[in-house]
Amino acid sequence: MQTATKHAGATRLAVDTGGTFTDLVVERPDADVRLYKRPTTPANPIDGVLNVLAAAAADLGVPLAHLLDGSELIYATTHAINAVLTGSTARTAFLVTRGHRDMLVFREGGRDKPFDHRRQFPDPYVPRALTFEVPERIGAQGEVVEPLDEDAVRKVCATLREEGVEAVAVCLLWSIVEPKHELRVAELLTEELPGVPVTLGHRLNPSLREYRRAASAVIDASLKPLMTRHIEELERRLREAGLRGPLPVVTSSGGLVHAGTIATAPIHVINSGPSMAPLAGRSYAAAGAGDETVIVMDTGGTSFDVSLVRRGEIPFTRESWIGEPYIGVLTGFPSVDVRSIGAGGGSVARVDDYGLLHVGPQSAGAVPGPVCYGRGGTAPTVTDASLVLGHIDPAYFLGGEMELDRDAAAAAIERDIARPLDLTVEQAAMAIRNVATQRMVDAIEEITIHQGIDPQRAVLAGGGGAAGLNAVSIGRRLRCERVLIPDVVAALSASGALLSDMAFDARTADWRTTADFDADTVNRLLDTLEARCGAFVDETPGVVSSRVDLFAEARYARQIWELEVHLPVRRFASRADVDALRSRFDALHQEVFGVADADSEVELLGWRAAARCKVGSDVLPRVAPTGSPIQPVRRRWATFEEIGTVAAAVWDARGLRVGERHEGPGIVETPDTSVVIDAGATFELNERGSLVIDPHGTETRQPR
Amino acid sequence: MSAAPDIDGVRLAVVTNRLQSIVRSMMNTVLRTGRSGVLNSARDFSCCIITRRDELLAAADSLPIHVMSGPDLVARAMRELHDDIAPGDAFLHNSPYLGNSHAADHSFLVPVFDDQGAHRFTVLVKAHQADCGNSVPTTYMATATDVYEEGALIFPCVRVQREYRDIADILRMCEVRIRVPDQWRGDYLAAVGAARIGERKLRELAADIGWDTLDELAEQWFDYSERRMRAAIGRLGGGVIEVTSHHDAFPGLPEGLDLRIRVSVEAAEEMIEVDLRDNPDCQPCGLNLTESTSRTAAMVGVFNGLHDDIPLNSGAFRRLRILLRENCVVGIPRHPASCSVATTNVADRVACGVQRALAELSEGAGQAEVGYVIPPADGVISGHDERGPFVNQIFLGIGGGAGSPHADGWFTAAHVGNAGLTLLDSVEMDEARFPIRVHTRALLPDSEGAGEHRGAPGALVEFGPVGGPMTLMYAQDGYETPALGARGGMAGGLARVWKVGADGTRTALGPIDQLWLDDGERVRCHTCGGGGYGPPSARDPERVAHDVREGWISADRARGVYGVALDVDGRVDEVATKALRAGLEEGC
Repeated sequence: MQTATKHAGATRLAVDTGGTFTDLVVERPDADVRLYKRPTTPANPIDGVLNVLAAAAADLGVPLAHLLDGSELIYATTHAINAVLTGSTARTAFLVTRGHRDMLVFREGGRDKPFDHRRQFPDPYVPRALTFEVPERIGAQGEVVEPLDEDAVRKVCATLREEGVEAVAVCLLWSIVEPKHELRVAELLTEELPGVPVTLGHRLNPSLREYRRAASAVIDASLKPLMTRHIEELERRLREAGLRGPLPVVTSSGGLVHAGTIATAPIHVINSGPSMAPLAGRSYAAAGAGDETVIVMDTGGTSFDVSLVRRGEIPFTRESWIGEPYIGVLTGFPSVDVRSIGAGGGSVARVDDYGLLHVGPQSAGAVPGPVCYGRGGTAPTVTDASLVLGHIDPAYFLGGEMELDRDAAAAAIERDIARPLDLTVEQAAMAIRNVATQRMVDAIEEITIHQGIDPQRAVLAGGGGAAGLNAVSIGRRLRCERVLIPDVVAALSASGALLSDMAFDARTADWRTTADFDADTVNRLLDTLEARCGAFVDETPGVVSSRVDLFAEARYARQIWELEVHLPVRRFASRADVDALRSRFDALHQEVFGVADADSEVELLGWRAAARCKVGSDVLPRVAPTGSPIQPVRRRWATFEEIGTVAAAVWDARGLRVGERHEGPGIVETPDTSVVIDAGATFELNERGSLVIDPHGTETRQPR
Repeated sequence: MSAAPDIDGVRLAVVTNRLQSIVRSMMNTVLRTGRSGVLNSARDFSCCIITRRDELLAAADSLPIHVMSGPDLVARAMRELHDDIAPGDAFLHNSPYLGNSHAADHSFLVPVFDDQGAHRFTVLVKAHQADCGNSVPTTYMATATDVYEEGALIFPCVRVQREYRDIADILRMCEVRIRVPDQWRGDYLAAVGAARIGERKLRELAADIGWDTLDELAEQWFDYSERRMRAAIGRLGGGVIEVTSHHDAFPGLPEGLDLRIRVSVEAAEEMIEVDLRDNPDCQPCGLNLTESTSRTAAMVGVFNGLHDDIPLNSGAFRRLRILLRENCVVGIPRHPASCSVATTNVADRVACGVQRALAELSEGAGQAEVGYVIPPADGVISGHDERGPFVNQIFLGIGGGAGSPHADGWFTAAHVGNAGLTLLDSVEMDEARFPIRVHTRALLPDSEGAGEHRGAPGALVEFGPVGGPMTLMYAQDGYETPALGARGGMAGGLARVWKVGADGTRTALGPIDQLWLDDGERVRCHTCGGGGYGPPSARDPERVAHDVREGWISADRARGVYGVALDVDGRVDEVATKALRAGLEEGC
């Protein structure tokens, strides 16, 4: 097991600009890791980046230029997704095959809540007024059914000019099979509208299903002007401040790309931050034990994100929504599969008129926030409940930066929850925690069962400021063997960025079956994909090691949803190689869906080559203890499931010794979070500074 | 706040979340592993959990027409027909005379037992099939004079698994009578696999909290839901109203079908009664409803009209009284009446009638009518190509949603019975799977039912076979009688069908056909727009301007129907609008 950092020798900085805080993790050669947090500055998020860097320089006692000089800075950002959510993207036009103008309106149909007739149908991402039909048609075999009418395209261009369009997306039917019309439209756009960025569906997202390709293309085009400016400004200001090393950016697929790449395809950074949490979870869980599956949860103020790592592989999805499913925007683009539900510290609790307790999805957010913040919030939240239960020390919140009002929290819970349910305040607070915990457990169960994973054989890794409050309870209900809280808990995503690789994916659509498999053609496609990956590896500086993995998208005949299979061979030499691919698919289908169908043909939809260049470390050093002097073990009144209110032990995480075993009930406090150790659960600190918790303890553990 | 501490509001919240989560896991399995487009593209299936007393307990994300009543009836049939149900059993049930919706919906029931062998719950997966062995290649055979002519294989709750193993005799019967048998077989695996996941998760839940506690919480959940329902009905005020609705003339129904729907809101009793008994006997065609869809159609109309987030379960349904009679076209069919089309056409008329009735009874309640079906764009296609035979329902574009008191109609509402939960096909995916080409799929301007909250427009869809002939079956209502508006809202656009010859000539077609299309020929259709809610002159002029800008409605229609004048830049001309609207009011 690797325990030391394999390091290129430079200081590495990772910045994650979240909705509320901008996190910074500093990793220096032969030193500990340091975490910093400063408020995000929504008006110009780059100010927040420089603020947190300045804070780090001050803490380390060096000038900022000195910190930046010789460093690499990895950037994760919510700037793109915020622009989509707030509609502040470019004025974008959409060009589509004649007869299909309403592609973005129809979407793929569907909704949830069948009897909710209060919601307005979502507007298309590009208004219909800015959607234009192109006279042309390619057929399913790539044949030209109707030639491209170039004059008509030029006329559309004239309209786009008059309309002051700032970006254009093009999605023509079957361009993935025969792209010549789409390519010609791009040439005409460049001639007629020089300087206006264009995104082509087949180039950005070469996959079947026109709406998904179109959705990716319009989102991408609409972000180009804004993200180009943003990245340019970031780079300029960081260079001015003294940064000379590389500036990679975190993508939705959990890899790093050069900042310059973002300008050509900004959709890559849509899920920039959340995609990193699974990488961090994987690294920390692997150091604890050789477990196969890691469930990574990230609990913030308003949302609870969960993802899975199976056998070290991060699962992907093409069904990534910005906002609510069916109401929000489907990106149609491969992204780390992170499921998000509206549950977190800020989730509001209420009892309806008929006696049922609800917790979330409404959130008190950062403003006004929980009642105990004293910023005008009146509705009791999960954080208020944790405070009333004694899980949070009112004087030690965020390392003592903020004093919390326990009485106000208790009064709100008394009024809104305890009295209507005829409970004591502590019982009511426990009920709030209980329902919030169950919603999180359900979200994890759904994602694990969707992937055919048994949570009992998984490690649960927690991140986010509110993770520790119920991670052990979640682990108990899921019957997980182990719960893990890394020392970077409060900056899990930024830490993941330091652990990630420079990444490049080359994909091609190609339809065939295992029965009519043409090895020569497939091998040629793989050659091309691998060559593109090879070029990327050659161009990437500072590579410690690299690898290219090959995948097929496969499904049984007549199915339409694919599973991605890691190829068992680099090239197909014989029928046996095809059979090996087939049996690998059968095994995966069995694992994920509980059935396999050996009698059915397997359809292959496309191929992917994934280049990953290691530029950093596999393992981060421990976080340096910071803040006030380390406190000895104390006791305070706190309430726990099953046993009620007791004088519980409170450990200062910075004072724990590696390998020393403790038993709950109790609370472990770190400067960033409180970890509630339920009665009977045991925990110890491992060499990497993570709390390793057995949620069941010695008495209740199931023999295996 | 009136506390009701006789329910355990905390445990109930926890357990009901878990139950819905179990149902969602079942749904996901069917969607991801189903073989036919009906399942894996369109999501035309439902999953639910039923108590041992045959009450609907949880049905997250299921299609309303599939689950509100039906699961209760088929679960009862399973118990009554079999006194030897045991762990490991699975039953296939599609009998229209024993509680199923229609023959093309294959219901798979798995009884769930405790460790002592007592039956505790039943999990159900109901999946619309691509084919069910009808005498012609469609799952909606409107022309069938009886069940014999319809020809579907009928399974009156027949055991298909014992001790978790297939009873191969039954599967072999399906494989010789259902078109494209390997497709059916794959869908069978998907449905039974999902039911088994439901069974396992339910047993895990019971292991955590105990079966008796689960029963007790189920009862509390019903009580809670019933209370919510009482309050929602109480808010409507009382009253009785009878509305009529008309299904267009079809073969076997030369005059069409006039329906009388009597809705009583009993405010004091907090009950809603829907009386469907004063209607014609079963008809010699496939449009008769089943007991399941008669009940459910009325219930869909009520739930669409309440605008409250009431949990969908048998507790809420206690406040509904649906009066049916035997041998009635909208009642309880008698063998051998055909109910092949029981989930859509006449069922939609009933549901839309009920929601329109509620709208007229009470301000802020009900809805207008949703566009009627089944258009060619949603028909069943079949034929052969070099890959072999194919048969499937496609979902290219359906009816527009209805205006409600709170919002405009949903653009992809499909039809009232599935509430827009089904998905639309990808054009590329359809063209890849079948030898067809979709030339046009677009929304149809000026086809919305105008209103303060307008209906959604209908669609214009044109497609045809490529490389060989194809059969297309459809059964379009709303050809003569549109989706009506409510409370002064206007009707949505009518449906139309044409055949487009290889030379481009258009021939108008009737509302129902088994259409043969040769290579190069196409079908072109307009689907129904949804009705509007409230008078068009009350619509926010800015919304009208937006609709004109987006091309949903023409400037002429904005002026003539909505009384909104726009300037050359498309902005609202307030003075002219005021004058126009004053004129519209005088005109009334």
